[in-house]
Amino acid sequence: MLNTARNPLSVTTSVWQAIFLREALDRLFDMRGAWFWLLIEPVLHIGFIAFVFSAIRVRTVANSDTFIWITVGMLAFFLFRRTSIQVMYAADCNRPLFAYRQVKPFDAAIVRAALEALLMILATMMILAISALLGHEVLPADPLMVVWVALGLWLFGIGYGLVASVLMALVPETEHILKLLMMPLYLVSGVVWPLMSIPQPYRDVLMFNPVAHGLELVRQGFTSYYHAVPGVSVAYLYAWVVGSVFLGMVLYRRFSRQLVMK
Amino acid sequence: MIVVEDVYKRYRTEHGVGKWVLHGINLEIPRQLNVGLIGANGAGKSTLLRLIGGIDEPTKGRVERRCRVSWPMGQGGLEGTLTGRQNAKFVCRVHGHQDDLADRLGFIKDFSELRDAFDEPVSTYSSGMRSRLQFALSLAFDFDIYISDEVTAAGDASFRKKAADAFASMVTRAGLIMVAHDEGTLKQFCQAGILIFDGGAYWFDAIDDALKAYEDTFSK
Repeated sequence: MLNTARNPLSVTTSVWQAIFLREALDRLFDMRGAWFWLLIEPVLHIGFIAFVFSAIRVRTVANSDTFIWITVGMLAFFLFRRTSIQVMYAADCNRPLFAYRQVKPFDAAIVRAALEALLMILATMMILAISALLGHEVLPADPLMVVWVALGLWLFGIGYGLVASVLMALVPETEHILKLLMMPLYLVSGVVWPLMSIPQPYRDVLMFNPVAHGLELVRQGFTSYYHAVPGVSVAYLYAWVVGSVFLGMVLYRRFSRQLVMK
Repeated sequence: MIVVEDVYKRYRTEHGVGKWVLHGINLEIPRQLNVGLIGANGAGKSTLLRLIGGIDEPTKGRVERRCRVSWPMGQGGLEGTLTGRQNAKFVCRVHGHQDDLADRLGFIKDFSELRDAFDEPVSTYSSGMRSRLQFALSLAFDFDIYISDEVTAAGDASFRKKAADAFASMVTRAGLIMVAHDEGTLKQFCQAGILIFDGGAYWFDAIDDALKAYEDTFSK
């Protein structure tokens, strides 16, 4: 039984399994029909914006079907934002469970990000299925590119969330600043506004934002004849991914005690 | 055996680094002995339990657990939005008991005597019910040393007796380190005692001596 110490890997996998089930319970069933609202919220949000822009404004954006342009961009943006927010508050939301020394804040962060990815995949499939029924071209022209870039946005969400949660634990005031940063990110990342239409030199400034690269690349992956902003690059996005995840992990290693205690 | 070697601990406060809570503590706590931690409020009893339980690290020095040590009962460990059963499942899974989950859950439900409340959210529990659940949870696993931080205080007399009997029955197998303020409880559960006073820790082979030494500190 317990007489032989479990090896660290099996401890970690059992902790991940336990947190995953606990988080999934909390997210999907903490109130009546919570799972329904979790999926329907992005569907309604994206559906409404996509409808308004494609029906009232324009039919195409830079050669791409507006409906798909908006839908894909928003899904990619939500993947980043929801993952980062889940990771940011991972330690806060699981505080009582750190009483078990096997459970570390990093476990909670990773598992929460994985759960969020799963939920976003479900939401994405649902939204694309609805779009297909409405007669839009939903199959990506370059599926590998889409997967690769979506993975990058997800990982950047993790990196950002890790760094942000340590900053918030060390200096509580940063929470306000990070929230202020998140708000305009929706606009400056080109979720509802094509960055192509921004004049120089301002466009170059906006393209420092790795999320903007991610969104443009995902759209390009969906529509091969889409005119993306010149200079978008997967490598740039992944440079941010590597940097932020590495920094986040270093900070977690160094300050894990401050994350647990309040 | 738990070895506490020259442990110093202080916390970071809003006004910079706080004062030393524990100041150069050396202890060797054997298995199969029930030990009571005694000291005034804020003396550092819970801090020491957290260090022993491995959920916090000493500022200086080290703590070595040479046997299986439970988590500190009574310091968190229950998620309010989940039911007692869901919390129990979480703890079983964390400790690698996915396979015999049903047996453990059965034991926890029986021992805690929560009945239907076992399937209600923990946030609706009274403090007594919480401590019953916490006690049952840790007894569901075979630890060599159990750590308890005031869990027994909230339970009623019959539950306290049941818990004391449970520990008496496994005295050959496992030990207990507990914090309690009630002298009767300490005498009921413990043989040896540790007095924490002024950042230091003092070992007594008999709990009565420890309690006496504790009372002597009042006059100073």
